[in-house]
Amino acid sequence: MFSETAQCLKTAAPLFSQTVLLKDLRCLFTHGGPSHVQARRHFGVSRSLTAKVPPPRKPRERVGIPGLEMVTYGERMHFVPGLSKPVNPHWERDYKDPRYYKSPPAHEMPLFKEKPCFVYNQRTSALEGVRQALWLTKTKLIPGLPPQLLSLAESPANQIADQDERVQNAIKHARFWDTKEERPGKEKYSNTLLFNLLHLCATLQSSHPAIGRRILSEKYSLAATWKRGEDVFQIRGQNGLLHNCMDALPEVSGKQEVDQTADHVLESLYPVSPTIDLQQVHVYKEELNCTGFRGDYPYPHAHTLYFLEGADAGCKLRPEQFRAKMLMFTFGNALVRAHTLYRSQPQRVLDHPITVQAVGTNGRIFQFMVLQLNTTDLSGDDGIKNQVWLDEDVELYDFAKVRPLIKKKQVKVPAGLTGYKPEVFSKFLALYLHGAV
Amino acid sequence: MMAVSCLTRALRSLTLSQPALLSSQAIAQTRLGAQVPTAVKQCRGFLTTACLEQNRTFWKQREKYTTRPMGMKKTGGRDHTGRIRTHGIGGGHKQKYRWIDFQRLRYEPNNEARPFEEKVVEVRYDPCRSADIALVAGGSRKRWIIATENMQAGDIIKTSGVIGRMAVSANEGDAYPLGALPVGTLVNCLEIQPGKGSEYIRAAGTSGILLRKVNGTAILQLPSKQQVQVLETCMVTVGRVSNIDHNKRIIGKAGRNRWLGIRPSSGLWQRKGGWAGRKIKPLPPMKVYVNLPSISAK
Repeated sequence: MFSETAQCLKTAAPLFSQTVLLKDLRCLFTHGGPSHVQARRHFGVSRSLTAKVPPPRKPRERVGIPGLEMVTYGERMHFVPGLSKPVNPHWERDYKDPRYYKSPPAHEMPLFKEKPCFVYNQRTSALEGVRQALWLTKTKLIPGLPPQLLSLAESPANQIADQDERVQNAIKHARFWDTKEERPGKEKYSNTLLFNLLHLCATLQSSHPAIGRRILSEKYSLAATWKRGEDVFQIRGQNGLLHNCMDALPEVSGKQEVDQTADHVLESLYPVSPTIDLQQVHVYKEELNCTGFRGDYPYPHAHTLYFLEGADAGCKLRPEQFRAKMLMFTFGNALVRAHTLYRSQPQRVLDHPITVQAVGTNGRIFQFMVLQLNTTDLSGDDGIKNQVWLDEDVELYDFAKVRPLIKKKQVKVPAGLTGYKPEVFSKFLALYLHGAV
Repeated sequence: MMAVSCLTRALRSLTLSQPALLSSQAIAQTRLGAQVPTAVKQCRGFLTTACLEQNRTFWKQREKYTTRPMGMKKTGGRDHTGRIRTHGIGGGHKQKYRWIDFQRLRYEPNNEARPFEEKVVEVRYDPCRSADIALVAGGSRKRWIIATENMQAGDIIKTSGVIGRMAVSANEGDAYPLGALPVGTLVNCLEIQPGKGSEYIRAAGTSGILLRKVNGTAILQLPSKQQVQVLETCMVTVGRVSNIDHNKRIIGKAGRNRWLGIRPSSGLWQRKGGWAGRKIKPLPPMKVYVNLPSISAK
């Protein structure tokens, strides 16, 4: 390329009168231009000047012989071929500049520990799902909701006037009316539906004044630490919507049932380790337990956690992993509460078990969960276990279609809301009223 | 981004060199005889184009293993210099690369030199190869491997590096060194050097046969019927590679090959020569990948 341009210049040169050229050059040099004729003019600009991307070269091996010093061109202040490049000591700025801050390597950080900690956050997709979460939290799974909870919603005193109609209107509002477009997206309608249902439940406050002793909070960050076997585990991160309460929830199962959980054997995940897919960190704080609220917060008890499946667009969890996340965060909330009550010493049996509920939804399918924390001594596999009641994949309605589904000129699914199941909302209401009746 | 920075630099050089004129104008002015100050220099050449970072392979250069699919740039058969290295490649559906762990006997960091088991989580199609791939989980890690014929989600597969006195009765999908297997076993994913990672018998539906074991080495028949001699510590997977009907699929039309990223051959008429027609030639001699000491050294 450069040889070409030099030739071009040579051919162009006779056209100029020599004197003019020299004069002009001289006067231009006084302007402070570079002191040599610049032949590096790129006439052709259509192609890349650096066509060849060489494969990465291996750095040359530098041999340091003690007692022998390389002759460098450092004193001459310019490059001299044949002399080696001067090695300057590393310069560190004596002032603080956040733009050029380089964090020290992990093993030099003050919080560095040799023993890794396994962190479960809101984006963790645990491979084994609920089974893995059960092992991590040392919990016994009981399918279905506890019967006293179910009976709560059946008594007519606890029902809302025109309950079915109002719930259907809430669904229709979320699925059809809450948009200017043809149909709202999943993130939008699931959120709207959850708030509609919560609002419906809150209308019972006149008959149940204890509902007024609650508050909803969003975007609180939770941190809970516990030991399982030899490993340290932490739950960190933000999760859904939390219903806080001034009073603790009553325990779901009695002393006898709690003692019976000692016979339950936890399911092993062999050959997969239960720590799979959990983030492994070496820089962490030991004994980190934080509810996300200050100590004097007037609503210290977590009542119900509401999870939305499509809340985090960057991380989509499959249903099994979603339930695992629900279980882990419910457990985390209960554990933090237990640590604040019992000063983070592992207790074999808690005198007053801590109950936290969770509801997960994707706008149509609901997951209900009630967790009772019986023990905070989680290191061994034997002894008292925690209990969780899980009612999974219950559908509030079958279809909510803006347009009918037509196949072979027959209407398979009509437009509008079809297949509404009233018992699902009664479960939702039961979890809401739990502790207030 | 690159192009914008080039352009701004060029514009800045133009504003700094006020008296600079374009060379063609300068020539014209000198021909007219006017004593206008001309300048050949000070006009830094500038680029109006920037090279696209097309054939870079950043997506391949990773330190840590991941099971996440990686976005891949198409090369069109070009190498790093931009020249055609392989003809007949270009276009096709966009594909993602899944990093296969070909070194089956990769121990987990804390427990080494012990046989371990893994669970098959998922068997799926891979766009980058003809065989199917399987996601296996064992311990606290997951990895992709080449699936064997009857591998299914939920299977437990074993990997062992031990050569015992007795030959093992291996199930399909298990990985053993060649010395531990009985003669006549169908194997795939053959390593040429112990610990290097499997390089042979990885295409869909292929398998090799362990013919005999001699003096610390093993002799195998490859799918091409060629025989190779490798050390008996080389790892193999037992069974046949998945997707056995790969050779029976019907492409159907020329366009489907284009979907796969295969371009038509040149079309230039060439006189048929010695390359055409049936050839009868003996099998090549056995290929030895064992660095045995020579006879004169003994």
